[in-house]
Amino acid sequence: MSTVSTEDLVSRLSLQVTSFQDGFKILAKSSSLEELALNFNHILRGSLLITDVNLFYKSNKEAEWTTLFSKDDRYSNSLNDLEISDKYSINFPENKGYKVLSTIPLVNKSYFGIILGNKLDKTEYSEIEKIFLQIFMQILDNAHQAFINYKKEKQLIFELKHRVVQLNNLIGTGIEISNLHKIGFQLELALERAVSLTNASRGLLRTIKGDKVISTIALPVTADADDILSVKYKIETEVEFQGLKYSFCLANKETRKGIEDFDDTDKILLSAIAMQVTAALENEHLHKEALLKEKIKKELSVASTIQQKIIPAELPEIPGYDIAGINIPSAEVGGDYYDCMKLNDGRFALIIADVAGKGVPSALLVSTLNASLFSYLDMQISLSDMAMKINSIIFNASPPDKFITFFIAVLNPENGELDIINAGHNPILLLRNDKTLKKIDAGGVAFGMFDMGLPFEGEQLVIEQGERLLLYTDGIPEAMNENEEEYSDPKMEAFFCENTPDKADDFINNIVADVRDHTAGTLQSDDITALYLIRK
Amino acid sequence: MVTDFKLSSENKTNCLVINTHGYINNIGGQKIVDEFNKHKDGGIKNYILNLEESKIVNSIGISFLIEMIEKLNETNGKLVFTNLDPTIEKTFTIMGLFQFAEKANNVDEALKLF
Repeated sequence: MSTVSTEDLVSRLSLQVTSFQDGFKILAKSSSLEELALNFNHILRGSLLITDVNLFYKSNKEAEWTTLFSKDDRYSNSLNDLEISDKYSINFPENKGYKVLSTIPLVNKSYFGIILGNKLDKTEYSEIEKIFLQIFMQILDNAHQAFINYKKEKQLIFELKHRVVQLNNLIGTGIEISNLHKIGFQLELALERAVSLTNASRGLLRTIKGDKVISTIALPVTADADDILSVKYKIETEVEFQGLKYSFCLANKETRKGIEDFDDTDKILLSAIAMQVTAALENEHLHKEALLKEKIKKELSVASTIQQKIIPAELPEIPGYDIAGINIPSAEVGGDYYDCMKLNDGRFALIIADVAGKGVPSALLVSTLNASLFSYLDMQISLSDMAMKINSIIFNASPPDKFITFFIAVLNPENGELDIINAGHNPILLLRNDKTLKKIDAGGVAFGMFDMGLPFEGEQLVIEQGERLLLYTDGIPEAMNENEEEYSDPKMEAFFCENTPDKADDFINNIVADVRDHTAGTLQSDDITALYLIRK
Repeated sequence: MVTDFKLSSENKTNCLVINTHGYINNIGGQKIVDEFNKHKDGGIKNYILNLEESKIVNSIGISFLIEMIEKLNETNGKLVFTNLDPTIEKTFTIMGLFQFAEKANNVDEALKLF
């Protein structure tokens, strides 16, 4: 065997430097191991005229050799000759079916096995060619490292971009779910996004009420719910809203190699999407509530307008008398009502009423009462009969919890005669000239409570010159201050007895001011309504 | 509503149109690449991937599409995506697919790009 002089080696190596560099560039550009092997074959053929190149790969110590590049099957029988160790090896055996045998342990614990046959010219490998071969083996190892690094870098970039996609879609999903408004579409979209963002192969979303599953969405639609729930690799989460549970289950996280278990990020993503469903449902619910409140507010506004139109803007003048009235509604639509109607026979009907409760139903009952009074007051029937008829109308027009306390006094202005019925209303106050206080409460039960034909007992009395009559609703005596103390009947009665201005308007203004003084700083909780009559 | 993955293809004048239905995941992506490989070996260089009936795609499905684009780049071929769902279009943009492939509103518009 001839030996290579140092000078000769340096000279030959200098000539091959460009070839080595080009070889590395070509190998490092390979996109797969197969391409790497093919390129290695080209380099050996071009540089050393070796045409019988065979390159094998073992993914780990225990794995079988796989062929990356070979033109001759016979070398598969020689694979056992390849030495597996942590060190690079190259042998040039004699009397074997091949000329070169090399094993390269790689950076990722895998191996290249290389078997080379004869050169093209059938000559033996020279010493310098053996040295070059070892250099090419080293270049192959380095190129493989570059290939692995390139793959890792590519994978890392891909994963980073995927994280951006996950984040972006997560934000977008929340907005899209909120915009859908229909629960079925919202749930379907949430499941689609949860499945795709976690790389799940299948998904299931069940809506559960109590122990019963009331609806199921599967992805794909043909997937069987029991199959999804029974897989080994799955993640589940559950959110609850208004008695319904929304249970998500994602099955079998996909990879290019098959399936694997989900990781913590997948669990966080699923949980975030499930929470977005809850948020969307809550927002939807609050939106509907707000719309309903707005609708009710508008209805109440209409009801309030109707009621205000029923209450007289000004009272008729009664010769020999001074009359004044007031109705101060509370924040809600109340059910207080007062009026003074001139009848065809020259008499005047003084009316005050209070519907139990507030809101639209109360306003409607006031409207019914007002219409009934207009119909019956000029009929030649007794007050008692009229009261029975109106009671019947109110009874039939109102729900069980609604009734109207009602007081009417029909005044003959010429002689001061009062024809009175009090249907369950607060006692009406009459201040006599001798400063005695008469409470008028004769009559019957409130309108709308019963319709059993029970008579309403009337009362007749006379209001003399200088005497005063106060009709009021419970909004005055029951007006409360911040300590929840009522203005009270005694205080109101005392005020009525002690305050006797010349003008009815003045009394009304004074008593309202006194009540306001009592309730200072608190919200008015009930209507304040009063009608005051002075016989001059 | 996401169905099981199905695929159909049709030869146009100078390209192959692949129509997909359903979830583009491991299975869907593999089927697309298989269909692509089958016709690539037959010499077709231009492809239209019509995703009108595919509303969701996962990253594994995307990796198959990238593989397809890389192979096409090696042979100076071209891929055009059409009928993209807005979320998928955004996903492809972030993943960088449109650096090496094109998009069109529909197949007719895509055919004009070849």
